[in-house]
Amino acid sequence: MKKFEDLSFYEILEIPVGASSYEIREAYKEALSIYNEDSLTTYSLFTDDERDRIREKVEEAFLTLIDEVKRADYDRMLVDSGKLDEQILHGKERGRPAQLFSDNKVNYSNAVSNMVRKKIEEGDVEDIASEILSQERISGSDLKRLRQAIGIKQQEVFEITRITVSVLDAIENDQVESLPPLIYLKNFLKQYAGVLQVDSEKIVEGYTRQMALNQDET
Amino acid sequence: MPITFPIGGGKGGSGKSFITASLGVSFAKQGKRVLLIDLDLGGSNLHSFLGLKNTEIGLNEFLNKRFQDLEQAILSTSVPNLFIISSANCSMESANLFYLQKLKIIRAIQGLTFDYILLDLGAGTSFNTLDFFLTSNEGIFVITPEPTSIENAFRFIKSVYFRRIKQMLKQKEFQRIVKEVLDDSNIGIVRWPSDIIDMLIEKEPERGAFLENKLGEYGFNIILNQFRRKSDSSLGDKIERVCNKHFYSKFQFLGTVGYDERVHDSILSRNIYINTYPYTVTATDLQNVADKISENGQTSVSTHQDCYEEI
Repeated sequence: MKKFEDLSFYEILEIPVGASSYEIREAYKEALSIYNEDSLTTYSLFTDDERDRIREKVEEAFLTLIDEVKRADYDRMLVDSGKLDEQILHGKERGRPAQLFSDNKVNYSNAVSNMVRKKIEEGDVEDIASEILSQERISGSDLKRLRQAIGIKQQEVFEITRITVSVLDAIENDQVESLPPLIYLKNFLKQYAGVLQVDSEKIVEGYTRQMALNQDET
Repeated sequence: MPITFPIGGGKGGSGKSFITASLGVSFAKQGKRVLLIDLDLGGSNLHSFLGLKNTEIGLNEFLNKRFQDLEQAILSTSVPNLFIISSANCSMESANLFYLQKLKIIRAIQGLTFDYILLDLGAGTSFNTLDFFLTSNEGIFVITPEPTSIENAFRFIKSVYFRRIKQMLKQKEFQRIVKEVLDDSNIGIVRWPSDIIDMLIEKEPERGAFLENKLGEYGFNIILNQFRRKSDSSLGDKIERVCNKHFYSKFQFLGTVGYDERVHDSILSRNIYINTYPYTVTATDLQNVADKISENGQTSVSTHQDCYEEI
């Protein structure tokens, strides 16, 4: 059985040699929770000195494995000293180390906004846009008209702005009772105008004027 | 040959006797022939967990030679297939067994014919407790999710190692090596039994390796008792992993046993808990632990005949 001092960085963190950076980070967190001085698991097992030594080692293991360059050097060292089979390093099971702070969330908004921009450039919507902007009051149906003229769907607006379709619906159909509070509404309108590439200030002003009128009527 | 499971754990009140009795009942229900032996000689109470009142015969009759065979001291219980050797009737001084008496008991236990023998040990790390624990490599220790209990458990593990190493090395040599370790560490005590092995490996690799090997045969099983919902659910796994990294033997976490107020009730009313409340979380936990031990038991070799050999 190996002594703690002789364990490899992978053994210390209890991860496979091909571990991804996510696994490494999780294992590090786990190791810290085991070896911190308040840990129910080990507080009585080690003296402060022993604990410090162990934690230094855990730290070193983490900082080496999380760094692609240092990790490659370390792996090479393991292979050269015969502690690791070279095959394992190049095996299929080896996870690709990801960037430390990258998130892997799939994001379509860029692609969609490029598509929208293209449609606005190609389409002949300038007349409608300037006609709408020249109005004193701008209703939801005006916005809807412009959107349809450009040829994009509510879902696509959602992809870019993350304004939910039900709110977009309420805006376009002037359903005053379903609209969000004014401060949010103004922001939503700004973003929507941004997608449609029209003057957002004018849209907000025109829409709130129209809304006030609607409210007076009801 | 029976598989012996010594059940210890360092701290008092962690539920060693309760676990012993409950596992015994579970094994008996699996159809195994099971014997429980109360070896907590100064604080014997295992019989009470099985609803037995003050027992007429027991270990005492074997110690004072009224019985020739340990078998004569065996009592049956209300559970079929489950038997017990009580020590409730032992003399007030029996907590301090003589060395030969201890050997006599250990030898006699190894000669009994049962499927499983469960040894209920006392708290603390007295030589008796450690030596009974060392009669098997399937030792179980019961801990609770409290710092005091875990502290005592580590102490217990280290003491077991220390005792075992001492048993295997000749007296003079042991003292010589300990002295060297002490000079090295300047703490005044041996903090880690493994330091002794390391020292030996350095000086005499062959014997050191042999000793290391021998200790590697020992398996420690952990049961986390009185587990409350608020406790850290990964505590048992963590302890298993830490022990496997920092000690020389194999540690296995058998599972948690939930805390239940009704355990107390059943002790008061002298009922067997898992028979009275078979469908509680705690009873299910106990069942799971018993199943896990039975699965392990089929593959493992147990009981050290060579318990007192020297190298």
